[in-house]
Amino acid sequence: MTTNPAVRSRKSSVDAPGSASASGPRSPQGGAGSARVKSRPADRIFFGLSFGSALLIMVILAAVAIFLIVQAAPAIAANWASNPDLNSGPTGGFGTFWNYVLPLIWGTLWVSFIALVLGAPVAIGIALFISHYAPRKITGILGYLIDLLAAVPSIVFGLWGIIVIRPLLLPLTDWLNHNLGFIPIFAGQASTTGSTILAGGVVLAVMILPIISSISREIFLQTPRLHEEAALALGATKWEMIRMAVFPYAKSGVVSAILLGLGRALGETMAIALIISPSIGFSLRILTEGSNSQTIAANLALNFPISNVLQREALIGTGLMLFVISLAVNFLARWIISRSNADKGSRKKRRPRAIVESAPALNGPALSASDSPVGARLGTDKPEGTPA
Amino acid sequence: MTAISSGAARKSASNGPGPIVNSLTTGQLPKFVEFYVLAGSLVVVGGVMMLLGFNLGGWIFLSAILYLVALGVLSAVAENRRRAVDRIVRSLVTIAFLLAIAPLISTLWTVTANGIGQLNWSFISQTGGAVFNPDTLKVDITTGALQAIVGTLEITGIAALMSIPIGLLTSIYLVEYARPGQPIARTVTFLVDVMTGIPSIVAGLFAFSLFTLLVGPKAFSGFSASVALSVLMIPIVVRSCEEMLRLVPGDLREASFALGVSRFATIVKVVLPTAIVGIITGITLAVARVIGETAPIFIAASFTDNFNANPFSGPMQTLPVLAYTGIKFPGQDIAASNASAWGAALLLVILVVILNIIARVVARVFAPKGAR
Amino acid sequence: MVTTPEGNTVKFKNVAVVGAFALTATIALAGCASSSGDSGTPSTKPSASADTYKVDPSLSGTITAGGSSAQANAEAAWAAAFTAQASGVTINYDKSQGSGGGVTNWLAGSYDFAGSDSPLNPTQVASSATTCGADGAVNLPVYLDGVAVIYNLPGVDKLNLSSEVIAKIFSLKITTWNDAAIVALNPKAKLPATAITTVTRSDGSGTTTNFTNYLSQTQPSIWTYAPSNAWPVAGSSAQQGGSGVVNTVKAGAGTIGYADHSAIGDLTSASIQAGTGKDFVSFSQEGASAAFTKAAVAVPSDVEGDLPQKLDYTKLTDKSAYPIPLISYQILCKTFKSAEQAKLTKAFVGFVASDLGQKIAAKNAGSAPIPAATLAKISKSLELIK
Repeated sequence: MTTNPAVRSRKSSVDAPGSASASGPRSPQGGAGSARVKSRPADRIFFGLSFGSALLIMVILAAVAIFLIVQAAPAIAANWASNPDLNSGPTGGFGTFWNYVLPLIWGTLWVSFIALVLGAPVAIGIALFISHYAPRKITGILGYLIDLLAAVPSIVFGLWGIIVIRPLLLPLTDWLNHNLGFIPIFAGQASTTGSTILAGGVVLAVMILPIISSISREIFLQTPRLHEEAALALGATKWEMIRMAVFPYAKSGVVSAILLGLGRALGETMAIALIISPSIGFSLRILTEGSNSQTIAANLALNFPISNVLQREALIGTGLMLFVISLAVNFLARWIISRSNADKGSRKKRRPRAIVESAPALNGPALSASDSPVGARLGTDKPEGTPA
Repeated sequence: MTAISSGAARKSASNGPGPIVNSLTTGQLPKFVEFYVLAGSLVVVGGVMMLLGFNLGGWIFLSAILYLVALGVLSAVAENRRRAVDRIVRSLVTIAFLLAIAPLISTLWTVTANGIGQLNWSFISQTGGAVFNPDTLKVDITTGALQAIVGTLEITGIAALMSIPIGLLTSIYLVEYARPGQPIARTVTFLVDVMTGIPSIVAGLFAFSLFTLLVGPKAFSGFSASVALSVLMIPIVVRSCEEMLRLVPGDLREASFALGVSRFATIVKVVLPTAIVGIITGITLAVARVIGETAPIFIAASFTDNFNANPFSGPMQTLPVLAYTGIKFPGQDIAASNASAWGAALLLVILVVILNIIARVVARVFAPKGAR
Repeated sequence: MVTTPEGNTVKFKNVAVVGAFALTATIALAGCASSSGDSGTPSTKPSASADTYKVDPSLSGTITAGGSSAQANAEAAWAAAFTAQASGVTINYDKSQGSGGGVTNWLAGSYDFAGSDSPLNPTQVASSATTCGADGAVNLPVYLDGVAVIYNLPGVDKLNLSSEVIAKIFSLKITTWNDAAIVALNPKAKLPATAITTVTRSDGSGTTTNFTNYLSQTQPSIWTYAPSNAWPVAGSSAQQGGSGVVNTVKAGAGTIGYADHSAIGDLTSASIQAGTGKDFVSFSQEGASAAFTKAAVAVPSDVEGDLPQKLDYTKLTDKSAYPIPLISYQILCKTFKSAEQAKLTKAFVGFVASDLGQKIAAKNAGSAPIPAATLAKISKSLELIK
């Protein structure tokens, strides 16, 4: 910021509104050769505070990682078979830390996968509905309603799952088990109480719906209108327009939204702890109550209060694994976003060609690119300016 | 549209000179065909199920399937395949939306129906307690949520007091002071991203381990739970404040600098007031997110039923933990414990809804004129 | 006294009326006192003092404890009654810990006493030397209850089960309700052909310890697992907490589970065969007390005043005793780090182990009072606490 004699004189003569410098309105301007604004004490203090906060965040995160590693290390390194503390109670009979945590990791990933499979398509459908199909006037309210789902505390979802979802899914559980029981995930003895992975997966899907849906909605709304209208002008139906103009633009954003939803599902504790009847083991079954793989977070919540010191450290070790997994998932999401941002520069060149290339797929002889002057223009033109 | 008119042209061409067809609507199904097909499939499936065994869920599910199939076939025959696919997608997307509204209504209805009976002034103002009658030797349990309400307000309040300054100052640093390529800024952004991914139970473990190291074995306290919640809140506050601060036009800042205002004053008097709406909204959403956490609280602050207003010593109870305890560890009167759990859950939902409404109202009221 | 013109005659009549009233009242009160005195355990003390136990009202401080959830309802009642007399005392009993967690926290120094459904095992006794010093710790049996086998079979109000059938059901060797073995014990009941779902504890629990103890002692050939606080058989519906088991059995038809009797609410529990005879005993407070008197054998201990018990199930063979009793202890150091805390905790445990305390637990938690002989021993042990 260079100072200008004109500015300097204006500053000393006019009390600029909002100038709250501690050294007063008539601060010495220094010689004519001074090229920098003097930094005032308030500035320095404030900068120090801000910088300090940023550093504090680094310290906190480092502390979290270090504490978890330090606390978990004794349990990870110990020989479980010979240690009476670790060979009893919730951690008894596993032999090593990895025998204990690997089934838990499997359970965490499996339950989250089920929740994603059930929830992601519905969430994308909701986002599409709000961004493209619903009347303009009520999109705000609809968006608010879906966001309200995100505000409901997870304990409430757990209670709701016990009272409503578990009995609700019992007939379906029976039917799937009887008729499709040859498929491994539907095999086993059907539950009579509903404490199944299916019930937990459904509730988890409801919980991650708002995350995926609201991010996807924002992305869908940002599709350049000109592209959408160009597709409609070429005679595409709404679905075709979405397929051609919206999805390619939104693909990476939607993938990262799904990964963020996955991150939430991985860490969910209460709903799983209240709904699913757990056991530690590798199991694909979703309809039973005797062979449900347990998740790390729910196992931690259930067993932490009753564990002795070494067992607590083992549980903290599983928490560390969970932290690492959600870190990896977050990394993946951010990497995909950054890749898509890098691509955005080249995407503008690609899209018009995409519309034109699929134009012959549209029925009707009058629509091929070669015939229509519009198509020809789109095919050969370099895009200029940024679409809104 | 071109497809329609070409379709109409084909149709009239094959019919030869005949009655005048309305070229705008030929080849289209009538306007409310979706409702007719829906009604029809509901009736048909209902009739079939009456014979085979009625089940509400099955009825809705099978009607939806029949509706989609019937609509697709009808449209493919009367219009063309592309229109059929379009109609089916439109129906699927609407079904998806209804699938989201159903759990929302069901959840809110369940909580309200089960909890409303508990919600009276004495529940809110009394600590849950037991009264001993020395003559009959009977102990009467009274349900009350005061200890949980006080605990929730104290723990979340302290967490907010710690997270808001740190989060806000960090986002100010990231937006105002740091140049984008700087390693410190990149590291901090990256670490904030990592922090958003910390599962809530891991935050509770961290707080518990920290305080065990600092204080010793009896390390349960409300403050420990607040630290856990801060670890969860800070990244949300940083992210949302950062977005809001970036939205402030650079012109405003440059005009302020041009007038010779110091950086500190610019930030405090120009940038922050402009972004205050979004900042308050972001903070409110962060608070609403952590107020419903259960696992970090009982790992860091243990379980108790007693009233404890001192956040620095002794276990504290919050509303979500009261709900959890009422279901998982009921007292002698199981029905009363469950009822108080639902009452606590309802109180919590009301609290969160109020916070959300405050966020929206603040956004509307404090928006700078003409900015939104 | 109203003086009337009639004078002395009325006075005499009034005196007579009042006197008759007083006499009747005394007889009635004495009758009430003695009847409530007799309803519990046989006591050699005069019946009037059984209803009172004086707690020093000047006591103040906080007692922190936790552990067994079987005791939890009784602990809540004891705390309410104790603090009614000593209002300066706060008692925090954390029932979410389970017996294992309670002992762990107590060994770490967080609790003044631990509630546990089993006495300290040898490893824990060794650790208690660090926590309590050379004097060690005492296990005091203060709570007596039974393990109830709960089930949900619509239309079946009474179910008789023998230890053999129970062992086979819970080790998944009997899998349907209309199995011949169950029908043989219940000829009149309409048992459906549905599969049996066993509901068990997913967390470590003293109730599991007691139940598996019973199974391995009475049916060692069928129940080959060692007794432990973790359920050993895979494939059951594992629920968290006794309330989880109770809620699950309540919600699912064809389920069978086990829980501490004071926590089952209004669920029906099965009647258990007494030994190998023809009597099936359902839970009652007298039955649990009789079981304690007949089957509780003191385990020898190095610590003076320590009263750990072992149950000899072979002695429970007649219909007066409930076959699956559950004894729960309060475990505390003999020497506290602070004399104040020792005085406070001693006062509370003394209240718990008094006739009044046992009656309060019986009335509010459905437990059975510990027999007076054992209560006397507990008083003696408490005198050693300092």
